[in-house]
Amino acid sequence: MEVVDIRPLLAPVLSFACAGLVFLMGRSFFWRCFWSVGAAATKLVVVMSMLPGTLKGTVYVFKLLDFTPGIGLGFRADALGMFFAVVSSTLWLITTIYAIGYMKTEHSQVRFFGFFALCVSATVGIAFAENLLTLFLFYETLTICTYPLVIHEETPEAMKAGRKYLTYTLLGGAFVLLGSVMTYDMAGTLTLSKPGILSMSSGVTSLTWLFVALVIGFGVKAAIMPLHGWLPSAMVAPTPVSALLHAVAVVKAGAFGLLRVFYNVFGVGVLRELPVVNWLAYLAVFTILAGSFVAIFQDNFKRRLAYSTISQLSYIVLGATMLTPFGATAAIAHIANQAFAKITMFFVAGAVQRTTGKTQIHELAGIGYRMPWTMAAYTVAALSFIGLPLTAGFVSKWYLSLGALEAGKWWLALVMIASSLLNAAYWLPVVYLAYFKAAPGTRLRIQEAEPMLLWPTLICAAYVIMLGLTTQVPGLPFSLAQAAVRFVFGM
Amino acid sequence: MPASALLVGVIIIPLVGAVLTPVVGGRSGRAAGPWALAVMLVTSAIALMLIVHVANVGPFSAYLGGWEPPYGIELRFDEFSASTSVICLLGTLSILFSFKYAEKELPPERIRYYYTLLLLNLTGMIGFVVTGDIFNLFVFMEILSLSGYALVAVSGERTAEMAAFKYLIMGAVSSLMVLFAIGLLYALTGSLNMADISVRLAGAEKAPAMLAIAAFTVGFMVKAALFPLHIWLPDAHAIAPSPVSAILSGLVVKTGLLGMIRIYQIYYGAKVLDLSALNTVLVWLGAISIVMGAFFAIFQEDIKMMLAYSTISNVGYIIMGLGLASQYGVIGAAVHIFNHALIKATLFLGAGAIIYRTGYRNLTDLRGIGRSMPLTTAAISIGAISIVGMPPTAGFLCKWYIALGAVEAGQPLFAVALVFGALFIFVYYIRMVNTFYFQEPVHPEILEVEEAPLSMLFPVLILAALCLIMGILGRIPLSFVEPAVTRLLAPLGG
Amino acid sequence: MIALLWINLDYAASVVLFCIGLYCVVTKNNLIKKFIGLNIMETAVFAFIVALGVVEGGDAPIMGADANAPFTNPIPQALILTGIVVAVSTTALALSLIIRIYQHCGTIEADELREME
Repeated sequence: MEVVDIRPLLAPVLSFACAGLVFLMGRSFFWRCFWSVGAAATKLVVVMSMLPGTLKGTVYVFKLLDFTPGIGLGFRADALGMFFAVVSSTLWLITTIYAIGYMKTEHSQVRFFGFFALCVSATVGIAFAENLLTLFLFYETLTICTYPLVIHEETPEAMKAGRKYLTYTLLGGAFVLLGSVMTYDMAGTLTLSKPGILSMSSGVTSLTWLFVALVIGFGVKAAIMPLHGWLPSAMVAPTPVSALLHAVAVVKAGAFGLLRVFYNVFGVGVLRELPVVNWLAYLAVFTILAGSFVAIFQDNFKRRLAYSTISQLSYIVLGATMLTPFGATAAIAHIANQAFAKITMFFVAGAVQRTTGKTQIHELAGIGYRMPWTMAAYTVAALSFIGLPLTAGFVSKWYLSLGALEAGKWWLALVMIASSLLNAAYWLPVVYLAYFKAAPGTRLRIQEAEPMLLWPTLICAAYVIMLGLTTQVPGLPFSLAQAAVRFVFGM
Repeated sequence: MPASALLVGVIIIPLVGAVLTPVVGGRSGRAAGPWALAVMLVTSAIALMLIVHVANVGPFSAYLGGWEPPYGIELRFDEFSASTSVICLLGTLSILFSFKYAEKELPPERIRYYYTLLLLNLTGMIGFVVTGDIFNLFVFMEILSLSGYALVAVSGERTAEMAAFKYLIMGAVSSLMVLFAIGLLYALTGSLNMADISVRLAGAEKAPAMLAIAAFTVGFMVKAALFPLHIWLPDAHAIAPSPVSAILSGLVVKTGLLGMIRIYQIYYGAKVLDLSALNTVLVWLGAISIVMGAFFAIFQEDIKMMLAYSTISNVGYIIMGLGLASQYGVIGAAVHIFNHALIKATLFLGAGAIIYRTGYRNLTDLRGIGRSMPLTTAAISIGAISIVGMPPTAGFLCKWYIALGAVEAGQPLFAVALVFGALFIFVYYIRMVNTFYFQEPVHPEILEVEEAPLSMLFPVLILAALCLIMGILGRIPLSFVEPAVTRLLAPLGG
Repeated sequence: MIALLWINLDYAASVVLFCIGLYCVVTKNNLIKKFIGLNIMETAVFAFIVALGVVEGGDAPIMGADANAPFTNPIPQALILTGIVVAVSTTALALSLIIRIYQHCGTIEADELREME
């Protein structure tokens, strides 16, 4: 049931307005924090207020205006979009609080918080986009707004990373634009409100080209190998940005875009006819394994996180390429599961860096005694990545394996197991270092991160466990993912 | 007032205004600026009425001296003539911008002539887009070209004069090409009225008709600075005073393109030749222009030089859209003529404001200017985002439409060239934005600079806002030119 | 072929003139000579257009008691009058620019000017 409602528009617009206020009034610490948190909170409230309706099957739509003749700037909150919006709004509030604590001593804070707010507004815009053009609009806005965050340090290294980031993502954006143009030419519409707008009558060749264009376009942000190069270098950004980039906004925008392409542009029926989808699956498998493998050899904490992200994101891609209900469930649910676990990890990395100044993994010996709470959160997240039952990661892996069997590709289940082992191989040594090896020559005393850094970390860790324990996490219902899957597969 | 009287007035008023400027301005030239502004405001008001009229009733004509065509001179206002609006808008804003600029940069005795030339140039352009007579077109083209050459040289500096001379030689040769082609058309049809020529050309001999369109194309492409014929542009546009650069880059270059549209109107209607070979050449040249313009721009240190090369890229977009000869492509091209004018004027005026305050024009010297001139640089950044074609700005719509046109015409490779050419353009605009905001200043005094004066800031901000508004409300110009493009392309489909 | 050329001798002549002019504009080093080339081109085009209006044995198209047909076509002549006005102003502008360049640089040779930049 579709209901015209302004809230899908309000969610991005209100937070855009707050971002503007951050720019205007941001010189004072109080107002900067006020509007940053205000933007996050209003957005969360707006999004959450739609949740009960969405769960009952209502779809909120709002058509703003015709952007070009025939293609409107439209917003639409369906189950898939809501799922992404809920995840990103929740995490944004938490990250904003963390960022206020983290950035206290940094320069150019107005710019930082302003663009930070813009980024996440754009993310909600992506979530609620009614058509491919609106999606593209916010996708590019996100690219542009992240750039000042990546180069925040303004060091030559940061500038170089920024250039690399822009090169990759803008190329991706160009592919998305090209894909949108081709889609419009083939389908005559760009709407994302149907389970697929293309039909086989366009011919396998052109559909394959279109698929390749769109997958490259969104795959850059989703860091499918070999399009992942920007992600590790973008690690020079301040930690809250890395968290935002790598857990919530940017990479998930790519993954979400891919899901939209799969389920709303092509539709499952058409994709089953395209052999190229299998190649994407192989690429995803390669990325999962190779990403983890490279991560083992990274000593820099954040770089290890980056490669882990690359590997984890391909779970989503893999789940989507299975084209089965369980696979789709896994792909959608993993957006949340990976986000919470990864952001916990980043918060830990940031807290450790701010508290002790350490950025390399070999320096972390004995850190478990100095920062017990922080490292407890880390352990929870690590276990989730390995896929231990009772954590969020398990849910994803379980459904992915089910989906693999459903699709008749049992060997994909083996890939899951291999990936778990690889994850264990690079996350557990840190736990070992932290708890079982005392730092040489220093007397250990508890020196926990400050509350502004600690509490967001703990909350995220708690979410990781909740997501693993129950399908009814407050504000993050698994049933949204299931509703999306039912829509996609016409069940 | 009847529409035909307004149509005459829209040319006569700025023309008379221009002639009177040296008298009104007096020796000090102090009154010349406000006078020119007033003249342009009146002209803008008339242009607005004309556009409302054309939106309501469609194209209409006025006959000078009551002589009906094909004997008399016809003024014809159609949807393409609606570019008068952007001419008036940019003219008004540039004149406003010139107040402080002229005071500082020009010798006082030249100020009144500067405004005279500006008004003449604008008159030439308005006349060029509203005339329905092909020789009249040439005369107006010469008015705007001659005043353009003089405007480039107006500062009286050595480099400016040399650039103006280069511009003059190229421009005069191209004008002769156009005149030669007009002569050929007259020989073929015995008429100078465009609509009449189109009818009579139908049965004409093919070879001279082909020679004529070739001469037209070369002539107008020099004016439009399409790639191999662009060599006059960078110097002239970069060295001219900034408000003049805005007009040259935003408008004068476009007259070449509008002229091309007029020629297409004649030839498509006459169906005397199959133009697909010409179109193919234009599409390729357009694609090459996009890439080469961007390529040269990357190596420029001078901010205005960079903007000048970017004009070449954007002309490439428009030519590509025209050459595609598909509905979406031509609509995109026609609207980009309008949108690019807004965007490029934002950039040139913004750059002018910065140069006015700092005296520097190299990117390296301007590092850190974003901190001391936040509004101007913000406007330039919006312009930069827009010219690269990021949504939701004005530049995006055109890119979208021309790309769609390429796919529609069954030539998706040009869509690829367009989309990735735009990325190339991004490279140097990113460099510019980096310079403004994210790099440590080379000259510490740059942080002490004041924000631009209000008479400069206002035009820049208005234009930047328009870049955004025209993106969001883009369907208005798009649906406005759509009937004209449908009429233009109708003979092709039939 | 030759016959065709002979019939269209006036057109052929203007084309040749045009090419001579263009050659001067492109190759000459001296700015004045460059500009003379441009003037030759102008003349070529004017001659071409005026020649269009010629009617064999035609009279000047002046109305009056003793006017008798056929007349030559007056329109090209009118056009070229306008064209000449334009050409004169172009010339004036170009010459004044050349004078200014000479005052500033002491030379009007294109290659020497290029070296000064």
